[in-house]
Amino acid sequence: MNRHGMTRREFLRAAAALGVTATVAPLARLLAASSAADARLVASPHWLDQAGNIRFRQDGISKITGSKVFAFDIRARDMPGWPQQQAYAFMIRTTRCDRVYEGVDLSMLDDGLKPDRLVVAADLKRDGVAMPEPDFYGQLLLAEGTVPTMLGQPAALLVYHDYPRFRAAKARLHFDPAVIRWGSEGAPVERAPYGVSRFVRIGGATPYDDDVFSPMIHEGPDTDEAVAAHAKTIADLLAAPPPGQRVFERQFASQSVDPAALEPDNGTAWYDRATRTLHLVAATQAPYVVATQAMTMAKASRLGIDAFRFYPTSTVGYGQKEHSSFPYYVTMAALYGDGRPVRLALDRWEHFQSAIKRHAFWFDTQIAVDTHTGKFTALKSQMAADGGGTANFSAAVGQVAATAIQSIYYFPLNDLSVTVHASRAVTAGSMRGFGTLQSMTSMEMMVDEIAQVLGIDAIELRRRNVLHTGMKNTQGAVPAGSMRAHELLDNAAAHPLWRERDRRKKVYEAKRPGYFYGVGFACVQKDYGTGAEAAIAQIQFDAKGGIRLRHVVTEIGTGATTSQIQVVTDMLGRPAQTVEFAVVDWPELKLVSNENPYGNTQAEEDRFSKNPHWVPTLTSPASASNSAFYMSHATREAARVLFDYGIWPAAMAIWGNGSGGGQAAPLSIRREDARWVDGMLVAPSLEPLSFERIAMVAHQRGLVTGATVHTFNRWAWASARFPMGSGTYEAPIDALAVRYGGAADESTHGYTFVPRVSVDYPPTQRNKAGVVYYAPHASLVELAVNPGTGEVDLLSHHHVMDCGRMIVPAFVSGQHQGGIAMGIGHALYEELPRYEEGPGNGQWNFNRYRLPRASDVAVWRQTAQYLPPLSPSDPPKGIAEVVMIPVVAAIANGVAHATGKRFYELPLSPERIKAALA
Amino acid sequence: MTRSTQPLSLTINGRRVGPVAVPDDLMLIEFLQEYMNLTGTRYGCGLGVCHACIIIHDRDDGTSEKLPACITGALSLNGQCIRTIEGHATRDAAGNVTALSHVQQAFLDHFSFQCSYCTPGLVNGVTVLIERLQRHPVPRDQVEQVVLDSLDDHICRCTGYVRYYEAVKQLILQSPGLTTGGDA
Repeated sequence: MNRHGMTRREFLRAAAALGVTATVAPLARLLAASSAADARLVASPHWLDQAGNIRFRQDGISKITGSKVFAFDIRARDMPGWPQQQAYAFMIRTTRCDRVYEGVDLSMLDDGLKPDRLVVAADLKRDGVAMPEPDFYGQLLLAEGTVPTMLGQPAALLVYHDYPRFRAAKARLHFDPAVIRWGSEGAPVERAPYGVSRFVRIGGATPYDDDVFSPMIHEGPDTDEAVAAHAKTIADLLAAPPPGQRVFERQFASQSVDPAALEPDNGTAWYDRATRTLHLVAATQAPYVVATQAMTMAKASRLGIDAFRFYPTSTVGYGQKEHSSFPYYVTMAALYGDGRPVRLALDRWEHFQSAIKRHAFWFDTQIAVDTHTGKFTALKSQMAADGGGTANFSAAVGQVAATAIQSIYYFPLNDLSVTVHASRAVTAGSMRGFGTLQSMTSMEMMVDEIAQVLGIDAIELRRRNVLHTGMKNTQGAVPAGSMRAHELLDNAAAHPLWRERDRRKKVYEAKRPGYFYGVGFACVQKDYGTGAEAAIAQIQFDAKGGIRLRHVVTEIGTGATTSQIQVVTDMLGRPAQTVEFAVVDWPELKLVSNENPYGNTQAEEDRFSKNPHWVPTLTSPASASNSAFYMSHATREAARVLFDYGIWPAAMAIWGNGSGGGQAAPLSIRREDARWVDGMLVAPSLEPLSFERIAMVAHQRGLVTGATVHTFNRWAWASARFPMGSGTYEAPIDALAVRYGGAADESTHGYTFVPRVSVDYPPTQRNKAGVVYYAPHASLVELAVNPGTGEVDLLSHHHVMDCGRMIVPAFVSGQHQGGIAMGIGHALYEELPRYEEGPGNGQWNFNRYRLPRASDVAVWRQTAQYLPPLSPSDPPKGIAEVVMIPVVAAIANGVAHATGKRFYELPLSPERIKAALA
Repeated sequence: MTRSTQPLSLTINGRRVGPVAVPDDLMLIEFLQEYMNLTGTRYGCGLGVCHACIIIHDRDDGTSEKLPACITGALSLNGQCIRTIEGHATRDAAGNVTALSHVQQAFLDHFSFQCSYCTPGLVNGVTVLIERLQRHPVPRDQVEQVVLDSLDDHICRCTGYVRYYEAVKQLILQSPGLTTGGDA
C-alpha cells in the first residue's frame, strides 16, 4: 500500500468486482436526514455572514452543541434502520513476547459474566475471516501455540449482548495477566527490516549546476554500484577532510510517543443476516481504504455479504487513524454479533496499548564544515528507527525522515541511509511529521552546537548555509517557487529575544538566583503532500446566483471543509452557500485508474494516459498536510473554468449590450482586468455587476454554469488541453466536465465530459524528487531551567512562518498554536518505553503520560508572524505538520544556552536534565 | 449471577429522568452515554485526568461545581441536578438550536476548537467559571491567571489552548459584572 491510499472510485469498482452493492454515506448527512433538529442547521448557510464571509466553521454548531459527530458517539439506536439493541465487545491482548501463547483463561469470570461469544484465532480460520493486507496490518488474532510478535497483540474478542455484563466482565479482566495462559519459553520470529533506503548525491560545481550524481538523474541496474562508489567519495572526505575543513559527528535519539488523539480507536458495525448486509461506522482518516478493505474482508468470510454500507465520520488522529488496523477488528466483531450491531470502542489504556505510535529514531550524523567560511561541505547520516510490531508506513516514514534531514541547508554532498526495523514494540506508523520531526530536530540541534564550537552566531551560521531559491535538495530536485527560509532567519535575528539574549540571561538569573535562563532558536522547512496527490471538485451556480460546491475533502478537525468554501471566493467573488464534502461518486468524469502512481513506468503511463478518462490516482485521504495546497487547487481550478467560460462571457454580454456595443465599446477591456469588489465584478470603468445578474445571463445564454475537475500532482501539476468553444482550454487539471446553462436539469448533474486533447503528466522519474513543496517555520523560545528539579519553564516563544496566502487565518493560527503545543510535549514531556514497560503492557494512561497543558505552553506569552504572500496568487502552503517541529529543537538549544550542556536524547525530561547538571 | 443494581433518578438539563436501575458502580459517563444516549460528554481517559468528560453539578445552595463524569459514580448524584453540553443552547419545540450560550458563541466566534472532542468539557468548565465570577468578580488584571487556574486541567491535543483562552478572556472582560478595577 502506498501512502495516498485507496480512493472512492476504486472502492466502488472493487464493490462491483465483488458483486457487492456498496454505498458510502457520511454520518453527518445521514443523521441530518433522520433528525429534524440537525437538518435545519445543515440546510442553512449560517456560517456565512450577510456579506458572504466565513463567520465560523461549517461544522461549528454541531461541534459546539455536543452533537453526534464522532464515531465514538454512535449507538445502534442512532442509525436509521438498525436494531435498537446492540452488543458490546472488548479484546484481550498479550503482554509478553517471551513465551508460547496457549489461549485465554476466562475461569475468573462467574457464569453470568461469560461472554455471549468468544472469538479466537481458530474461529477466524474456520470462518475465513482474515486481516486485509496482513503484511501491512498484521494478523487479526494470535494463533495458539505461537509466540506473540509484539506486545499488545490481540488474542481474543469477547462479545456481550448487553452493557451491564460487558462492563462487569471487562472490569474483572482488566489488568489481570492470568487471563492469558502461557506455555514454554520462546522468542518472536526474527523479521527483516520494514524498509531500507539510501540517498546519495554529488552536486555540481555550484548549487545551480547539474548534479554529478543524484536520485533525480540516475536510475537503472547500475545505480547500486554507482551509489556505493559515490558514497565512498563522501566517506573518504569525511574520514580525511581537506585542510580548512572540520568534521563534526554526533548521535541523537528521539523517543516513541503516542499521538494521543482524544477520540480513542472505535467503531460500531452491524452484520444484518437477513439481507447479508454489513454496516460499518468507523473512525478513520482514510475512509475509502477502510471501506474497501472491510468490504473485501467480509465478502471473503464464510458469512459473505451481498451489500455494504459505510458511514465515515468526523474524527481526529494526527495520522494515528490514517491507516490503522482497528476498523478491521470492528468488522470482525460485527461478523460475530449474532445479528446484533456490535460496538468496539477502546478505553484509554487499550488505546495506548494498540494505537499507532511515532517512530523512535536514532541518528549518527557527520557534517563537514569549511571552518573559514562556515559553509557545510558534506552530510552523512545513518538513521535507524523502530517500526514496532507491524509494517504499516514504516518504510515510507524512513524515506521521508532521510529526505528531510537536510532541514533548511544546502549540502554539496550527501549520503543519507535509513533502516526501519521490526520489533516487539507497539506498531509505529504515520504521525504528524512522518519522520521529519525526528530528523530535522537532530539537525537543528547539531547545527546549533557547530555554531557554538566555531564561535559563529547560530543564526548567522544558518544564513551562510541556507538553501536559496533554485538550489537542489538532497535528492537533486529543485524545490518549488521562492525559498524563504532566509527571510525567517533575518526576522529571528532581529527579534529582541535573540538580540538581547545574553543581557536577558544576566538580568533573569540575577533576579532568580539558582535558575538558568536560555534562549533557543531553530528553523526547518517541511514538505507537504505525498508525491501522488489527487482531488476532485465541482462548482456550479444556479440562475439566481446560488453557488454549490461538492468536494472529495473530508474533515479531521483542521477546518479543511470550511476552507474550501472560502477558496471559491478567489474566482467567484463569494463563498459557496451549499456544500457537500466527502463526495463519493463522480459520474460526470467516469474516471479510471490503475492506482499505481509511484509504480507505473513512463511507458505504461504514456500508454494509459491516451485514455482521457484515465488518471494516475483518483483522490487522496486527509493526510500529509494536503488540504490547503492540493485540495484548494482543485477548487480554484473548477472556479476558474466557471469564470472563464461562464462568468466572464456573461459579463461581457451585459457590458456589450446596447447599440454600438454598449458601454464596453469605447473601452479596452482585458480579462485580467476583472476584479471582485464587495461581491461585484468590476473591470476598468464598467458598471459593477452583481453575481446574481451575471448568473442569470450565463444561464440564459447557455454558458458554462458548472465545472467538475480532477487534479493530479507528482511534485508538479499535471496539465491538459481541452476543446472548449472555438478554442482550446489549457489548465493544470487532467479531467474536466462542464454543465451548460439552460440545458441542465437541476435535479440531475447535467454534466458533459470534455475529453482532453492531450495531457502532460509529470515524468515518473519525478517520483525520485522525494519532495519539492516546502513550508518553512522558525521558532524562538526563552525558558528557565530549575537545576534542582530539572524542570523547564517555558517563558515565552515567538514564531515566524511562510504559509503562502492564508485561506482562513484563524485556521492557520489554530493549527500553528496546536502544533507548537504538540512540539513542546515532544521536547519536554512525552515518552513511551518501547517494550515490556511501555504501552503494550496495557497500563498506560494520561496519569503517567504527560500531555502539555495550557500552563506548559506559555499560553498568554506566545506570538507569531506570517510572511506576507509574495503575490495575490501565492498559493497556500500545507503547514499542519511543520508547525510542531522547530520548537522542539529550539527548546533543546535553549536548554543548552541556559545550562551550558548539550543534550542528544529527547525528551529533555527532568531526570535527564538533573543527571546532566549533577 | 444477578448484578446488584439500585434506582437512579437525576435531573439532567432541567429534565427529570428515572428511576432507572443501574449497577452500583456505574460511572456517570456510562449512564449518560449508554442509558440516556447523551454522548456529548466525551470519554477521554477514564481517570478524571483529561477533563473531556466534565459536567456541571448544580448544588442545592445555588452554586455549581465541575465533575469528571468518568470517575463520578452515577448513584452518588441520585436526586441531584446536572448540566451537560446538550443543555446549553436554547432550542425550539422541535429541538432546533435557536441560540447558543455565551460561552458556546465565544468559542464558535473565535474558531477555538478543531476536532472538538474536548469542547464539551471546556464549555462546562468555562460556564462554571463565569457563574462563579458573577458571584465573585475578580480584578481585571487577574483575569489571565484566573482563566489559567480554572481551565488548566482541561487537556486539548489540537489547539494549543490559545484560541480557547482568548475567547474566555474576552468574554469575561466584556461581560458586565465579572471583573473589578482597571485594565487587564
